[in-house]
Amino acid sequence: MNEPLARLEGINKWFGRNHVLRDVNLQIYPQEVVVLIGPSGSGKSTLLRTVNMLEEPTEGKVFFEGQELTDIHTDLNAARTRMGMVFQQFNLFPHRTVTGNITLALEKVLGLKGDDARRRALEQLGKVGLEEKADAWPSQLSGGQQQRVAIARALAMQPVLMLFDEVTSALDPELVNEVLGVMQELASEGMTMVVVTHEMGFAREVGTRLIFMDQGTILEEGPPRQVFADPKHERTRAFLSQVL
Amino acid sequence: MTTTAAPQAPPDRGIRYFARQQTPWSWLALGVGIIALLVLIIGAGAILTAHGWTQVCPEGVDRLICSPTDPLAEGLTSNELAVLCIAVIVIGAAAAGLALWRRRSVPNKQAREAAVAGGVIGIQAAVLAGVLLWFRSSNVETFARNFLDVRLLGDFFPRFVNGAKNTLILSFLGGALGMFLGLILALFTMSKRAVIRAPARIYINFFRGTPLIWQLSFAGLGVVTALRLGFFSGIDGPYRVAIAVLGLNLAAYSAEVYRAGIQSLERGQIEAARSLGLSYLQAMRFVVVPQAIRRVIPPLTNEFVILIKDTSLVTVLGLAFFQKELLGAGKDIYSSTANATAFLGSAAGYLIITLPMIRLVTYLERRLRSGLTSVVG
Repeated sequence: MNEPLARLEGINKWFGRNHVLRDVNLQIYPQEVVVLIGPSGSGKSTLLRTVNMLEEPTEGKVFFEGQELTDIHTDLNAARTRMGMVFQQFNLFPHRTVTGNITLALEKVLGLKGDDARRRALEQLGKVGLEEKADAWPSQLSGGQQQRVAIARALAMQPVLMLFDEVTSALDPELVNEVLGVMQELASEGMTMVVVTHEMGFAREVGTRLIFMDQGTILEEGPPRQVFADPKHERTRAFLSQVL
Repeated sequence: MTTTAAPQAPPDRGIRYFARQQTPWSWLALGVGIIALLVLIIGAGAILTAHGWTQVCPEGVDRLICSPTDPLAEGLTSNELAVLCIAVIVIGAAAAGLALWRRRSVPNKQAREAAVAGGVIGIQAAVLAGVLLWFRSSNVETFARNFLDVRLLGDFFPRFVNGAKNTLILSFLGGALGMFLGLILALFTMSKRAVIRAPARIYINFFRGTPLIWQLSFAGLGVVTALRLGFFSGIDGPYRVAIAVLGLNLAAYSAEVYRAGIQSLERGQIEAARSLGLSYLQAMRFVVVPQAIRRVIPPLTNEFVILIKDTSLVTVLGLAFFQKELLGAGKDIYSSTANATAFLGSAAGYLIITLPMIRLVTYLERRLRSGLTSVVG
């Protein structure tokens, strides 16, 4: 296989005395859809947030496109423009319109002019089916619409890697599918994705690799169908029997 | 999104509905209470006006023989006023008695509310009348002369206006300085670097931990008298020191307000900004501060109202005659006339400035609260 897009080496993370990631190694290759599952507190969100260094590992190295992010000389802001992230709580900026949410980083980080930034924002809104909400305020949107705007905001930066942190967990059940649909389409276009989720159907249908985490370690990984059908580890089996 | 049930108007619970629910007894209790209060206000006003509130004394007549407040004292000590007060106490007590007696036998909540309100208003009128009666038995003439001389307020009106002008200048310049410095201090206190946090914390603790009057005195003595710094010396020296110290003091308090406002934002806001590649300073400038400003406007206005009142402490700096603020102007007038009515003029000046701002805070807080629900929902 070719070079990994992102690589985590020997990651350890302590929150105080709490050892949340224990010597984790992970490689993410282009066009993979890596799905992280596991019980709450297993460290899957922390691991995801380590990829773009929102969480600094206590020990270990993080590489992205061959560059070491844990090196203090690395321009983290520049690297982050190439990785999009979507959060459980949407985290749209409530003081900016939908378009304003998307154009902020385009203008201030990529240096696009107002018109160009707006054009690119509208294009991305079209992709998530929310062109007509361009001038609405985040508070006027449903949770599912807000999350799709958050995805458009991340995609507008034209990232090569997308990180999804339990993006459907805060949504009402009937709104989950509109967000999953956008993610599925993104995967089919060949976007490299790392997805923390409790949506096992999505993991099975869209994921190319499933990782089961427990107590800060990767316990088991493999093609989703195989892991679902025949979990090797007792813990994986117990977890899957609870959620399926 | 779509509702099947037709929208139903809420039941009418307006003033007409309230009136329809009343019974003769509840009307009576409410009416008698209101009458007691009206008789007191209109009656006392009429009696005092008939005697006159103030008079012009002939030139050169001794103030022991003629005082501007003599008619007011006469009205206050008159027998008519005593009779009026006793009458109000009787009517008020009657309203209270009616309400107490009938409050359980009314048919509904609205009628009970009206009866109880009448009783309470009656008691309030009776208490006021009692206080007036008691006051009347004291040395009214001396009190009126020294505290209720409205003519004096009119005579010195320009001085009060000048005092109000200086109070506003001190407040607005000190306020602008303090709110600007405060924001910078607040950002310092949230730095991840201890060497930046520590000086900011020391500054804030010092200015919050020592009295403003001490800060003003010390700055006045140290900067104006001992250091003789160019900008802070000369006739405007103490005035500039006053603005600087008021600003430095407010900076410490407003820094805490800003910090609370910024920290009340969800962590996710800054994380979302950083994940898009914005630097820490860009995230602060474009995402955090614009949202925090909205949240801190009501508490900052509150701090500003406190600052307006605290400008009165600059009297310790020994300002020149034309630099006096409201309290200083009142004190000056008091020392030249030996009449304490001057202080009432100062109080009126402060209230005229602060009451609208207090209203503004209430309004902004209510608007902010309704705004927040729509953000969350």
